[in-house]
Amino acid sequence: MSEPNRQYFEDIQVGDEYLSPGRTITEADIVAFAGLSGDYNVLHTDAEYMKTSIFGERIAHGLLGLSISSGLGSRAIVRPFATIAFLGLRWRFKGPIKIGDTIKVRMRVSDKKETSKPDRGIVTLQRSVLNQRGEVVQEGDTELMIERRK
Amino acid sequence: MPRYFEDLEVGDGFESPGRTLTEADVVSYAAISGDQDALDFTAGDAGLPPVVPDLLIMVLSSGLGFRAPAETPQVLAFMVFDLHMRLPVRVGDTIRCRIRVAGKRPMKEGGVIVERREMVNQRDEVVQEAEYKLLVARRPRE
Repeated sequence: MSEPNRQYFEDIQVGDEYLSPGRTITEADIVAFAGLSGDYNVLHTDAEYMKTSIFGERIAHGLLGLSISSGLGSRAIVRPFATIAFLGLRWRFKGPIKIGDTIKVRMRVSDKKETSKPDRGIVTLQRSVLNQRGEVVQEGDTELMIERRK
Repeated sequence: MPRYFEDLEVGDGFESPGRTLTEADVVSYAAISGDQDALDFTAGDAGLPPVVPDLLIMVLSSGLGFRAPAETPQVLAFMVFDLHMRLPVRVGDTIRCRIRVAGKRPMKEGGVIVERREMVNQRDEVVQEAEYKLLVARRPRE
């Protein structure tokens, strides 16, 4: 049965755009993420070492930016997609996210294709992560398998 | 001493220790990412443990990548990755990460290392495959 508050393959159009609210990245986010992932690389955890680096200070894990952008993405799409599966991701890290930066996610449906199975289709979502200066710090494409209306 | 660009050769690789996925990992991930969709533990297939978010598997593999038997590369930045999901992972599964250097290319500030990563479960099935491009530091001059 189709649910009225979800977007099915037929409801999603190429060119649909979404912009998320902002979220300020804090030191606590980075420390918590190091604990969860086990990634204690000096880039994220050694303030003294990072003073001497090209960044001048600790930076957020790239995958923390990606994880938060996924949370922001679900807040931006008010009527959630009827996603069956997340198929793949190609992602580029273009600039650092520093403590105190505020990021937003802009998303655009860039492609839709049918599959051999009549109950589903594949949607490509182009995502850009922007900081408070409007610079794209991360971007990429995600491929989602979406249910059709029954 | 970390390993620098000059120390890494194509074909170098290792397999990480395992990590068992727990509900606590899923809850922590939802708290950090803000992705609340992961918290509906009844949403999956009846009778089977909940499915773990795909991105959480990737996040945990990034940490497993540092649990190498030798010193790990001095990574300056992630540049690109390509990720392909193959099979769902459920709470209670134990994943390991197999990493192999597939290519290297010098650059001004360091060098690019291309890594192939396979995340495998306790049945040795590949659950995710990824290619990472990492910027790795050059050995500092004495």
